[in-house]
Formats: sequence, C-alpha cells, structure tokens
Amino acid sequence: MLFHLAWATLTRHRSRTLLAMLGVAVSAAMLLDMVMLSSGMRVSLRNLLLSRGFQLRLAPKGTLPFDTDATIPDAGNVIRVLRAIPDVGAISPVLGGQLHVAIGMRTITATALGVEPAVQGDYEIVQGRTPAAPNELVASDDFLRASGAKIGDTLSGASGYDPQLRSLTGRRTFVLVGRAHFFYMPAEQRAVALPIATLQGMRGADARDRASLFMIRARDGVDVDGLLRRIQAALPGVTAVSTETAMRQVDERLSYFRQLAFILGAVSLAVGFLLVATLVTVSVNERLGEIVVMRAIGVARSRVVLQIVLEGVVIMLAGALAGLVLGLATARYLNSILASFPGLPAAIDFFLFEPRDAWRALGLLTVAGILAGIYPSWRGASLPIAITLREEAVG
Amino acid sequence: MLAALLLAAFAQSIDSTLPRRPPRSIAIDERLAADAHIGIGDRLVVSTSPGGVGDSVVVGAIVRRRADPSEVARAEYRVIMHLDELQSLVGYGDRVDRFAVATRGAGATDSAIRHINDAAFGFQAYRSRDIAVETSRTFLVVSRFHRAIGVITIVASAIFLLCIMLLKVDERRRDVAALRLMGISARSIVRSVMVEAALVAVLGSAVGVVLGWIAAQLINWHYRAVYRTPLAFALVTPSIVGLAITLSLALGLAAGLLAAQRLVRMPALELLSGRREQRPRFG
Repeated sequence: MLFHLAWATLTRHRSRTLLAMLGVAVSAAMLLDMVMLSSGMRVSLRNLLLSRGFQLRLAPKGTLPFDTDATIPDAGNVIRVLRAIPDVGAISPVLGGQLHVAIGMRTITATALGVEPAVQGDYEIVQGRTPAAPNELVASDDFLRASGAKIGDTLSGASGYDPQLRSLTGRRTFVLVGRAHFFYMPAEQRAVALPIATLQGMRGADARDRASLFMIRARDGVDVDGLLRRIQAALPGVTAVSTETAMRQVDERLSYFRQLAFILGAVSLAVGFLLVATLVTVSVNERLGEIVVMRAIGVARSRVVLQIVLEGVVIMLAGALAGLVLGLATARYLNSILASFPGLPAAIDFFLFEPRDAWRALGLLTVAGILAGIYPSWRGASLPIAITLREEAVG
Repeated sequence: MLAALLLAAFAQSIDSTLPRRPPRSIAIDERLAADAHIGIGDRLVVSTSPGGVGDSVVVGAIVRRRADPSEVARAEYRVIMHLDELQSLVGYGDRVDRFAVATRGAGATDSAIRHINDAAFGFQAYRSRDIAVETSRTFLVVSRFHRAIGVITIVASAIFLLCIMLLKVDERRRDVAALRLMGISARSIVRSVMVEAALVAVLGSAVGVVLGWIAAQLINWHYRAVYRTPLAFALVTPSIVGLAITLSLALGLAAGLLAAQRLVRMPALELLSGRREQRPRFG
C-alpha cells in the first residue's frame, strides 16, 4: 500500500520523475567512478606487485625501483648477504638498460632487462621458452612487431652508442627464444629480457657487478616486516621496500587522484541529494491537500513520513541502477585516458570494478535518498490539518 | 648523473676535515634545505655513494624549483654544482649531457638547428618547445582526463538545470493560466519564462564563478603544499569564465523554452483548475 501510493505519486509527473532519475543516474555514475578511482589504483598496484610472489624489493639508496638510472654496486655481495638470511626464499636481481638491435639498415631500441631467468619475476613466457644460454633473449610483442623478428631468429644487439665514434658499443649476437609478456612495462613498450651477466658484460665497466633492483620472496609463513627490518640492518647501503611501503610511496605521488575522487564523489552525492530533495519538496508542496486529507481520515503521521521518504529512495535507487551501467561505461573510457600515462605499467587500472564499490555507491545513494526525503516528509507530516484543509479548499 | 645528484643529496653531512683548497659553492633546492635543516654557509661533503669519499662544498644558495609540470611528482632532492666539480666527482670526464643554446629569435632557431645538426658529430639539436611537449605528456593526459570529467559534469548540470526549470515553471501554472485568461499571448509567456531562466542561469553562473575562484585558490594552496612546487594547479581564466557563462546561459534558455512550451500547450482553464495533475500525459 505504502509503496503503491509512493509509486502513484511518482508516476503522476512522469517526465519530471524520469528527468530526476536521469539526473540521479549521471550523479550515481560519477559517484561509482570516483569510488572505483579511489581504490582501483591501489588494488591494481598491489595485485601487480604481488603477482609473482615477491614481497620485498631492494633499490639504490633513497630511490624507488627503476625511479632513476642509479644502480646498486657489488651485486654479488648483496646476494651473498641476502642468502645468509634464513627467511629469504628467492632473490631475483634485475639490471635495466637498453638494447639497440640492428634490423637491416635501421636500429630498433628496446628496454632491456638483465635477469636470472630461473628466478625472474618480470615476465611470463607466452610462446617459446625462457633464456637458458648467455646469448639468448625473449622479447615483447611490441618489439617483435617493430623488428619483424621471429622466435629462432638471430639478432645483432648492442647496449650503447658512442656519439664520438658514431658507433654502437657492447655488441653481441643473440638468439630470440621466446615471446614474453612483461608485467611492469607500459603498453606499447618494446622490451627484451636476457641473462643479467650478459647485460652487465655488454654495458662494460659502469655496470660491472651492478643491479638496478633485487626482488625478494620470503619463505612461506615468514613475517615480511620482520624480514624487511633484518635486510635493512644487514644492507644499510640500499633501500629495502615492502609492497606496503611501495604502495604508500606511490600513493603519495598519486594522492591527487584519490583527493579528486573524494571531492568529485562528494559533489556527485550532493547533486543527487539536492535534485531528489528539490523534487520531493515540490511534490509535497503540490499535494498538501491530499496529505492532510490522509491525516484527517486517520492515516498515521509515520505512514505519511514513510511514504514521502520512500518516494526519494525510489528515485535514488532507480537512478542508481541506471547509473551503475552508465558508470561502468564511463569508467572504461576514463581508464583508457589515464592508461596513456607515460611509463605506467599496462597492468595498472585506475578504475577497477569490485562489487563492494557498487554496494558502497548504492549504500551512499540510499542514505542520500532517505536524507533528501526527511525535510519534505517532516513538513508534510507536521501540517495543521484543519487550517491546511481550509486553505486548500479556499485556494 | 641523476644518480650522482641524488646520492649527493642523501650523503650530505657536516664536513669535519680541513680542505686543501677553499671549498667551492653549491646551490641546493629548498626542499633539501628544509628537510635536512641546511642553511647558507653550511659546509657539506658530497659524494657519489653514501659514506664514500667526496668533495667538501659550502652552500652558497638555496633555490626554488621552477613551475615545471614534468617535475611535479618527483620527490628527489636537487643539488646544483659547478660543472667541472661534478664531472670530476662522478668521473664523467670532459662530457656533458646536453647544451642549452640561446638563439636570436625564432628564425635564427631554425637556422641554428639546421647548422648544428649538419655540422655536429654525434649529437642532435632539438627545439625547446618539442622537448617541453615530450616532457609534459603526463599533464596532457591529466588534461584529457579533466576534459572528460568536465563533459560528464556539464551533462549532469544540464539535467539538473532542466529539472529545476521544469519545477519552477510548473509551480507557476496558475499565474500562467491567469495571464493567458487576461489575453497575454503564449509567445509573451514563453519569452518571460525564458528571460527568467536566463536570469537564473546568469546569476547561478556568477555565484559559480565566485565559488570556482575560491575552489581554485584552495586547490592551489593545498597542492602547492603537497607537491612543494610553485605550479598553479587550477586557473580561472576569462575564457573559462566566458565558456561557463555561455554554456549555462544556453542550457538555461533551452530548459526554460522546453518548460514554458509544455505549459503554454495546456488549456488555460485546465492549468487554473489543476486538473492537469490527473493527466499523466503532461507529466
């Protein structure tokens, strides 16, 4: 009965109600997008960092992994120190660099990762196999597209360029043994991975026994924070970061997006609230006579309040459901814009849908719908019956 | 070189040894000065690795970073040294990463680029503008994102405005009915509603501009503190104000026209008696 009355009131002014629902849908879409933005990047980054099970990373002192060109010296000793810590399960050293590959008369330049193929956590093989010999490498799809190379091809590569002599330096011949998907690389990044000793040798004195990064996997059941502290004590010359620390630091850099999400989410909610509150208030003002007649024939004040609040909630929920679909579509579009950030790993999503986001947005809108109905329902329920009846009859 | 600068920043410490020659001066950025409590005249040792052998220097200046969008999210410290001292410290030899070349006007720039690229052996000349475009790609992405958010906001505002205008005009149906019965033409009523809508839109825009300006000041104050940069994050320019008012006026007029036309299509007596409420045809 209560719902029926509320529905009848809403359908009495169909275009007005539809317009309000459309307005709420746009607000709800924006709210959902902003809820997704506020948590999506964190979840996405956490998933990426933990995707290969490495919980800790060692970077040159004062930097984040691959944040600068700095490298960690004496990499062999670092590995020895780490292996002496019993809770360390696996160590994956990584050296960054460039590989210039001569293809006919042109040269293709790719980001090169020197890794220990047996314990690496930077890529997964899509086709072929991981490098086993010092002269083997795997490459990303973008590199293969740009170079036209195929698995099994022999490539001539170099690690540098001498501007004085106008010639490539650190030359070496490689066999392409696999096609790989690189987890931390931006979209459309040409990338190759080869044994770290090979890349160190190619880069010469400036990279001898150096690494850009160490990824560390703790043994099962080990307290990662405790292990982090032990590593920091054993290796004061490097910066050890846990997944949480890395996320906190990235969070600080990208705090803008979280704050933007909060502000725009709040504005969306406020707009939805104002829209519904205005509509329900006007609707109540238009049918004061109807409301006091209901009161006069014995309908309880609480029933009147409930009916009016229900009107607001129905508009909010109907709009929110439409907004969910709209929000997912706009989130996809907005994510495609932010995905083109220079250097951003392709696996990072700014807008990541999780059911709890939808529930959170729906919950907020429901509360806003209830709040929007409070003032008009209080006004409707507190009307003096006799005076209002007379005024409405005369009016 | 970047690594050297970074490590030098972290390796700062008060020099306790007597230098063989007077220490040379360096400039540090104000972030480093504030975080490490370094002042002008302080003596430091800079080295390429933490605790490594380095050079004694004296802080001669504390500099503020330029408003460069490409550096806004970079948190590392910066030290400016004499070129030869840095070359010696990092073992870079007689090499530099780049030269900045000043030219005599735009025409001279083209000619200089051509001459340098023709004559140079092993390096390439670029126009500063092209480098700026490349380094500000991050902000271009943010700008595209803002534009997309702006479009969604405009759609939401348009619906909100249309809804409010419908309600406002609906509220006045008895006044409109009386005017119609007095012989005022439907056209005049539509015009008067549109004028009212335009006034609402312009007044709303004026309030919005003031709110936007206040919001921009707050945003700049907050993010300048967060990123420690003089960069302006939000700007309210005359063109933005013009666009906002034009859009608002256009939306207001469209909403007013739509609402007024719905009203004048109804018979005046029906409007006056309120029977319309039983006729869902008109919403």
